[in-house]
Amino acid sequence: MEQSSTSALLQGTVLDLASDVVSALRSGDHVRAGSTLTGGGAGEGVARAAVRVLGADTLLPSVLLGVPPGPGQLAVFKDAVAAHPPRDDAAPAVVWSHWAMTRALRRTGPSPDGPPSDGTGAEPDARWLDGAGWQFLTHQLAVLAPLALPGEECAVTRVARGRPVDVARGFVRAVRRRDWQQAAGAGRWLTLLDGVPDTLGLEAGLDFVRLMGGSDPRVALQLEAARLMPAAVLL
Amino acid sequence: MSGRDASVRDARVRDVSVRGVEEAALAWVWAHRDRFALGEDALAADGQVNRTWKPLGELTQVCASVARCTPPDDPLHTRVSELLDFAWQQTHRGELFPLMQSLEPFATYPLEVYAAFASAGLRHPGYEASAAVVARTRGWRLTEQYPTRRLGVLEAERRSGIPPHGGVPQATDRTWLGGLPEPWTFERAAGYALTHVVFHLTDWGSTARGVPADLAEYLLHWLPPWLDTCLDARMYDLSCELLAVAASLPRPPEQALLEDAWQRVAAAQRGSGAIPEEGAAQDAAGPDPGPDPYDFTDCYHSTLMAAFAAALTTAATAPPPDVRHAAPLGGQHAGQGAPG
Amino acid sequence: MPSKDKVLEEVTRTENIDIDAALDPAEPDGVFRDSRECAALALQSGGTNLLLSPPTPRPKKG
Repeated sequence: MEQSSTSALLQGTVLDLASDVVSALRSGDHVRAGSTLTGGGAGEGVARAAVRVLGADTLLPSVLLGVPPGPGQLAVFKDAVAAHPPRDDAAPAVVWSHWAMTRALRRTGPSPDGPPSDGTGAEPDARWLDGAGWQFLTHQLAVLAPLALPGEECAVTRVARGRPVDVARGFVRAVRRRDWQQAAGAGRWLTLLDGVPDTLGLEAGLDFVRLMGGSDPRVALQLEAARLMPAAVLL
Repeated sequence: MSGRDASVRDARVRDVSVRGVEEAALAWVWAHRDRFALGEDALAADGQVNRTWKPLGELTQVCASVARCTPPDDPLHTRVSELLDFAWQQTHRGELFPLMQSLEPFATYPLEVYAAFASAGLRHPGYEASAAVVARTRGWRLTEQYPTRRLGVLEAERRSGIPPHGGVPQATDRTWLGGLPEPWTFERAAGYALTHVVFHLTDWGSTARGVPADLAEYLLHWLPPWLDTCLDARMYDLSCELLAVAASLPRPPEQALLEDAWQRVAAAQRGSGAIPEEGAAQDAAGPDPGPDPYDFTDCYHSTLMAAFAAALTTAATAPPPDVRHAAPLGGQHAGQGAPG
Repeated sequence: MPSKDKVLEEVTRTENIDIDAALDPAEPDGVFRDSRECAALALQSGGTNLLLSPPTPRPKKG
């Protein structure tokens, strides 16, 4: 009982946080991205955990719109990175989402008290995707959608670039399954990839995912990212 | 050619199970052949065509295709040849077709069923002549139909020696597949429409070159997610049709993509060889089904389609690549039952 | 609103479990439902036979 109520609280905070990010991406107002974190609606621990779950996308308005994050927001983000390092036996997606957060910090918070340069920033490997079936590949990429950014390179990005048709297949599969979150995450990746078959109809597909699943702010966030990415210039 | 040669080795292990699916499916069909027999209601005004002529036409089409792509010394070739004889006997060696025409002169399904027999070399010249008379009317040409069905009628005309009443490319363009739609709009109805477009364009798997290049590329791209999700939804019948499509293309899809699908089809096959059309039949059969738990109507079509897809798959990956064109039975003709 | 201490306590207890599950979620089961087909409006009942057999004659009025 307690666990599920805590879990629900965390889940709700993640949704609030995602809504803030969506609002900021739509309006260009980066301050609003931090309202859940600074509004006192959730405890610090929950807020920190929620930032860890939403990951690098918490700073997406700053990354895509080029506006520096608010100091309070940045502080919570740093806390989340520090408080939730991946365990030694963590799944690759967990390790990579943490790495994505440290990269976001490097990009947006080049202050002297930025992330330590003691190797925490070392890029993990993408061997777990070697020979992965297109279904698993797309699911993992969707989970790691925060890595899908224009002009950013990493091992996961290189894997995705090598398999545009497979990611497109995964998008079709996700829509067919009505897994809007996976579809939106895969769609965000596809906006970055060359070699996606034209017959996919990506633009109409993203509109369709928004129509069907856009009420979930985590879905809307991916779709906003996909909308902004072609035009975005990274810091 | 060298690409295909390379894929032959990769396909060895898979061939064992695909062949197993085919043998078991045809064993079920043989054991239940009496259920395909035409009863008295086949000619009755209120008879259910979908329960009489349609299954018989589908049996005929599948057996004609299996015969064509199976070497004459293969026991399965003998088996399907016997089934073809059985089916032809049901039509009184074709005599029922002119009779049907006298009862329902403007119906297209008798010609579509007949074309399946014609593709196996079982013909009735008198019926072909009288069908040609009706096919010359404007009314026949203007029959209101789904575009996929229209394509099927055109092909039925061709195979029955009747000048087709329209062009295949024009008819293809009006189908769902012909328009290259967004692949994520695929659903059951679109799936059945597209499989039949390919069946008609390729003479039921015998002439892969009948698929235009843009359609072939489109199918290579999107068959994998369609197959995967249809199998997730336990739509075995449509999955088998999609596997038949995959084996009918000028260039086969990556073998690994199909191997998973065949494993899942094989897992759905019961000891008798029966494969349920959809998961609902499995649910109805309960947690501990016997070897032959399904009603005829819940499994005959999917079991036929499994045999059809398996035969095409085996032929497409067999060492002499053109073996499926080599069997003399039926020459370049193929037929069709009604869609679905 | 729950007290901050209570929330913190709960989070501490469940952080490791919940967060990893949220960071590497399993794929949800697919949801499949196909469009149904409805015969065209004002078509006679029993339209499902339209494709394979001619429609039954309508009774003539007057």
